[in-house]
Amino acid sequence: MTNTVLLEAQHVSQRFKLPNGQNLEALRDVSLAVSEHEVVALVGPSGCGKSTLLRLFAGLARPADGTVLYRGRRLDGVLGAAAMVFQSFALLPWLTVTENVAMGLEARGVFGPARRDAVARAVNLVGLDGFEQAYPKELSGGMKQRVGFARALAVAPEILLMDEPFGALDPLTAENLRSQVVDLWRDPAAGVNTLVIVTHSVEEAVFLAGRIVVFGSNPGHVREELVNSLPYPRIERSPDFEQMVDRLHAILTATLLPEAAPAAPQRLVPFPRVHVSEATGLLDHLLTRPDGKGPVFELAEDLGVDYDRMSAVVRAAEQLGWVTTPGEIVQLTQGGREVMAMDDAARKDASRARLAKQPLFARLVAMLKENEGSVEDEEVLADLTIYFPFIPAESLFATLIEWGRYAELLDHNAGAGRISLLGWESTAEMRTE
Amino acid sequence: MKLPGFPTTLAPPGLRRLGLADIAVLCLLGGVIATVISFAREFEAPFSQAVRIDLSPAALPRYTLYSLSRGVFALMISYLFALGFGWTAAKSRAAERLLLPLLDILQSIPVLGFLPGLVLGLMSLFPTRNVGLELAAILMIFTAQAWNLALSFYNSLKGLPDPLRDACKVAGWPPRRTFWQLEVPAAAQGLVWNGMLSMAGGWFFLMVNEAFRLGDRDYRLPGIGSYMSVALDQGNVPAMALAVLAMVVMIVCVDQVLWRPLVVWVEKFRLDDTAGAPAPSSWVLEFLRRARLPRRAAVLQRRAYRSARRAARSIEAPFKSVGPVILRGPLIAFERAIARKLGAGLAVAAIAAAAVAGAWRLWLLITQLGLADWGQLLVAALLTFARVMSAVLLSTIWTVPAGVIIGRSPRLARALQPVIQVVASFPAPMLFPIVILLFERIGVGLGLGAVALMVLSGQWYILFNVISAVANIPEQLKEATTLFRLPWLARWRSLYLPAAFPALVTGWVTAAGGAWNGSIVAEYIEAGGTLRQTQGLGSLISEATAHANFPLLAGGIALMSLIVVGWNRMVWRPLLQWAQNRFSLET
Repeated sequence: MTNTVLLEAQHVSQRFKLPNGQNLEALRDVSLAVSEHEVVALVGPSGCGKSTLLRLFAGLARPADGTVLYRGRRLDGVLGAAAMVFQSFALLPWLTVTENVAMGLEARGVFGPARRDAVARAVNLVGLDGFEQAYPKELSGGMKQRVGFARALAVAPEILLMDEPFGALDPLTAENLRSQVVDLWRDPAAGVNTLVIVTHSVEEAVFLAGRIVVFGSNPGHVREELVNSLPYPRIERSPDFEQMVDRLHAILTATLLPEAAPAAPQRLVPFPRVHVSEATGLLDHLLTRPDGKGPVFELAEDLGVDYDRMSAVVRAAEQLGWVTTPGEIVQLTQGGREVMAMDDAARKDASRARLAKQPLFARLVAMLKENEGSVEDEEVLADLTIYFPFIPAESLFATLIEWGRYAELLDHNAGAGRISLLGWESTAEMRTE
Repeated sequence: MKLPGFPTTLAPPGLRRLGLADIAVLCLLGGVIATVISFAREFEAPFSQAVRIDLSPAALPRYTLYSLSRGVFALMISYLFALGFGWTAAKSRAAERLLLPLLDILQSIPVLGFLPGLVLGLMSLFPTRNVGLELAAILMIFTAQAWNLALSFYNSLKGLPDPLRDACKVAGWPPRRTFWQLEVPAAAQGLVWNGMLSMAGGWFFLMVNEAFRLGDRDYRLPGIGSYMSVALDQGNVPAMALAVLAMVVMIVCVDQVLWRPLVVWVEKFRLDDTAGAPAPSSWVLEFLRRARLPRRAAVLQRRAYRSARRAARSIEAPFKSVGPVILRGPLIAFERAIARKLGAGLAVAAIAAAAVAGAWRLWLLITQLGLADWGQLLVAALLTFARVMSAVLLSTIWTVPAGVIIGRSPRLARALQPVIQVVASFPAPMLFPIVILLFERIGVGLGLGAVALMVLSGQWYILFNVISAVANIPEQLKEATTLFRLPWLARWRSLYLPAAFPALVTGWVTAAGGAWNGSIVAEYIEAGGTLRQTQGLGSLISEATAHANFPLLAGGIALMSLIVVGWNRMVWRPLLQWAQNRFSLET
């Protein structure tokens, strides 16, 4: 395609400061161009900075490094040529549908009858006729998002930016709205010809986008781009569509469940932030499957969690040696089967033995032993911040505590702000004897 | 469930760690105290004839109206202040660091001490008329109203969801429009609820504000407070009863005609959809909504506004073309990091200089005090401290059981809510002389009686907080204690008391503040022509005012501010944090 480039991010980086003082790098050296008449989907695990990039495109934030260009000119302030649709709708509850839809018109110099026409056209495009005088709280989620779309369409934007627009909707409503978005895009009367959508759903990306950009996390970066040239309207159960979905699955799996680097076994890996019950739940589910295995995306669908979460659970189980992940297949290991057959106490013993070998826990235990079995939370938090600058230390800490408690390896006194090694005193006493 | 009548948070002061900013703020305030007081000294205002207060019942409605208009006027200023202050603090991180401690301190120090200086200063500006006195009274009411409003607006600005802000930015709204159509509406609920509390708080010193003695001079404004004070001087019991009645009627009317409709109306500006609480109702708003006239008026007003805009456009044009040019200069300058740093540095230097100068002035004033004076001040402070703490303890003893019982039963809470609200809004100091006369009958002196008066001025904060905390306990927790057949004592110990504890601490903070403030009028009472006083910091401040002993006044106020702020930081804040951590209902 030889279309003009509308939006372009050049070597963009973005950083945030967390309340605890930690500096989080959301994007590092990301370059991406969006051309006219394109539908671009940004996919990837949560925390990969895809929404951050969307906000940079909208001019809602400035990059820490690099530049964002609109038609070759550096973006300064909010991009007037774009409109945005939000996951949480972001409607003002005290304004009626009409007033919400008209929000962006005045700033663009549309007044009086022209304004009324623009609102009526947008309301009509998304099928909200009859609801003009309703307040958002009177509407269902799907209708609210229609207002969100109408508000964006009313200003006849050159580019429509969407941040998980169907994420907060039930599946039926989401499906319905999704096909309407495709219709809108293909309808020259709607006037929108370039879409950028951030999404969690692989099917959604394949259904809508002509180009799919896969992001990796820690810090956010572009992993891979995939051109999707299936003809519109796309049919979700067609073999071509499924093949495309599988390809994207494979890329995402490689992003989410990277094959373990064989070289450095002692490298510190963060423990995925998942709960104990989620990991055991996964094993329970795998036990019900033939041969105790299944592709990660199928598991996610069966268990009703998104693939991002699913892959975190799988990684946790993998670090404990309960599953292996050849490609996108999750396979229950012999160790995993044994653990599931054990009673509660034995399972805890087995988990303790495993956890003590996990590099991060091993480091924590060593640190505790050096300090007579007990250290202050702050010390551990500082350590985590240094080793994993891209992960909020507090939540990683909470995960360590939960697993440590479960395996009866660690104890934590929230009041005193100290973490201690269980069974330490007894061993210390034995040594003195 | 949530009760419509009780705000879930009663303006908990933003307690923070003691920092450099606090010291700067304290010094600045000290400077203001000293400046105002020395101002009072330099301008010996000409003695103006005190207004004669007519004690006939027929005059009372007029006086009530006077007092009410002062309160409403002060409230309007408070709202303007809150919008400006909250916005600045929320938008600029540098301003935030100075303004938040300032707010925290201002809402906990006894502002009554500023009255003499304010009165004399303003009187000398307007020597011939009562304007100065009026302004002083309104400013004093303002100082009791403004802080929690500002804090409420600030908090709501900080809590605004990002997508809403983004949506306004993407729509291309200028900051002014975002302010009026997003930020203010989103804060409306908090502003109305806190306005209610502020209005009640503003009445607290009504009597002192309107009838005030400095040295041998007597300053009086026509109003319900001065009516009461004259009635007390003359020992005119029917007039006293009438004044109390008029006050109650006024509070009820303001509640029904102003606050109820507002509370119902701002329901519209809720940000969260979860409408678990029964919607409050207001007969006045119903009436207004049904009436045609207001709607007509609204149409007319809109038309008038439009034509005014059209007419103004030609005048606006030159400003519009010049405005950006004037504005752009500094804006461009401030886009450079060096200029920004320089500006910030200058601001910091100016503030530091003002703080130093202020501290110096205060120092000059205070060094006039001898060793004996300091001894007296310390003993007095200890006595008042003991009284404040006993008052908090006594209030807790009765309000906690009462609050738990009321909060447990939604029916009881709904039935008692209007009553409690009126009683709590009633300015306790108006009752002080009556209560003290009763105490003398049964042989209790002011030394102990003052504790009871402080209970009167602080107890409601605790009661309100406990009721709302207990009412907000999830129904399932209550059901669980019933299902497991916990005896009532265990039920209280394991559920109600822990759940109410964080709110109780918040109540303590405010109640102790109220008691400290109350001490100024509770330890020094003139009733029936005789003066009663007991040793204490409050009476020392009142006495210093009465005898125009400015160094002692400055010392007393500075000491009280120091104790209140210090205690807030050293004791209440850690306690509150611990309580919120330990007994939070959120799991």
